[in-house]
Amino acid sequence: MLKKIEDMNHYELLEVSPRATAQEIHKAYERIRKIYDPNSIALYSLFSPEETEIIRQRIEDAYRTLIYDENRRAYDLSLRSLPDALPPDHPRQRTFATPLPPSPRTEPVRTPEPHHQDPRPVPHAPETAAAQEPLRSAPADITEFTGPMLKMLREQRGLSVQNIADITKMSTRYIESIESENYQKLPARPYLRGFLVIYTKAVGYEPDRIVTDYMRRFDAARNPAKK
Amino acid sequence: MIELQDALRKKEIWAIGGGKGGIGKSLITGNIGITLARLKKKVLLVDADLGGANLHTTLGIGVPEMTLSDFLNRRVENINDVIIKTVIPNLSLISGAQDFLDAANPNFAQKTRLLRHLETLDADYILLDLGAGTSYNILDFFLFSDHGILVVLPEPTAIENAYRFIKSAFYRRFKKVVADQQIKDLIDAAMDQKNTMGIRTPFDLIERIKGMDREVGDILELEVNKFRPKLVVNQVRTKNDVQIGFSMKSACQKYFGINLEYLGYVEYDDCVWQSIRSKRPLVVEYPYSRPARCIERIVHNLLRKEQMTLSMLY
Repeated sequence: MLKKIEDMNHYELLEVSPRATAQEIHKAYERIRKIYDPNSIALYSLFSPEETEIIRQRIEDAYRTLIYDENRRAYDLSLRSLPDALPPDHPRQRTFATPLPPSPRTEPVRTPEPHHQDPRPVPHAPETAAAQEPLRSAPADITEFTGPMLKMLREQRGLSVQNIADITKMSTRYIESIESENYQKLPARPYLRGFLVIYTKAVGYEPDRIVTDYMRRFDAARNPAKK
Repeated sequence: MIELQDALRKKEIWAIGGGKGGIGKSLITGNIGITLARLKKKVLLVDADLGGANLHTTLGIGVPEMTLSDFLNRRVENINDVIIKTVIPNLSLISGAQDFLDAANPNFAQKTRLLRHLETLDADYILLDLGAGTSYNILDFFLFSDHGILVVLPEPTAIENAYRFIKSAFYRRFKKVVADQQIKDLIDAAMDQKNTMGIRTPFDLIERIKGMDREVGDILELEVNKFRPKLVVNQVRTKNDVQIGFSMKSACQKYFGINLEYLGYVEYDDCVWQSIRSKRPLVVEYPYSRPARCIERIVHNLLRKEQMTLSMLY
């Protein structure tokens, strides 16, 4: 089917199927963005700089629409009302947490590091979407970060265990074990530490205090002080 | 790696072109030919680079007595008389023109006679090594073949010429399909990138033609779908160079609306240069080198009608 770039829908533009998962869309976006970089030699002599810029803009739009569940659903609906409709509803196997607006009561402590090679604004990768939102410092009113406390923080942000698993690629088993402080089921210390860091980041908090706190409890439970 | 039974016992003609000179067309043609011959296919290589033939050199054959120009100028009647057997079993060669100044520009009758005779030959695969440039002769050979293979280097110059080649071949094919002189003139005018009618891309052209004659426009749209050139990226040094094949595929889809099939790449290695210097074919001299492996993979993809997939990169 012959189609001008202007007539391509977001999926065609990113060269993904309408059933693509968020991860696939992200991967495709990274790839396509590189192809239509102003310095890409594969475009040489084909597109003018202005045309490349327009295509780039469209790719950004497409990505931003498809990567967020809500926007994508709305977009799919609008596509389906067109004559050359899309295949029917696609089951979304994986979801990504949409970053929440920063909480009003705490100031953002850390801003994401500036992108060095690339001065253009880059939308957040879904895997790190939550992490790239300014992380909040751990709530000061909580004195001890126990597993159930982490669970509570997670639930406060409206994230399910599955959400965290999708974002961090950790197994749900580990997430549940962390939250229930089922130390026997947890991996070796250095791995656990890494898991905790990405877990807290995914939930949207500065890992430092929370992780140190949790690790102290973990150590205490594994090696009870000798009398 | 490559299974014999997958082969079809039907003659196929492949043309290897690319627009720019010195990008390895002859080298790739010769080595694909040898690889196929080793798989017990009957292969005929035809040096259709009439102005600057040197396919025989990549195969390590000296200047041949009988060449294509003898056939084109009817010094011999039977095409079999200009076929040279090579030391490699199953591989034979028709060498390119050496003498005639005119031979580089055969007329229409000479071309059709050549193509007609090629079709009668007993071979599984006929590989046409095309010359540089986008002259009508080269384009016609490319369009006549069953599969057109484009060779590019990961360099702007070669890529520019490859796109130019695709566009020229594409518009030449359009012109063959339409009968109306007015539309033919329009296609000619559209070839000029700076045309005043605002026709920038093939889409613009087809839209314009549809405005003139709906039916012809639809036919051309079908032609676009049928036109599937294949791509080989030569002298690949980095992973980004490999990626260029996929990038060109995407750009072609978005600009021309055509499906470029990414057949494979050939890695850069000094052994290629050494094999040329020693006038011995790469896959014979360095059969286990990386470039030779790459050629094998290309042949594999050609025989299986497969192409590179993105998963090979990730």
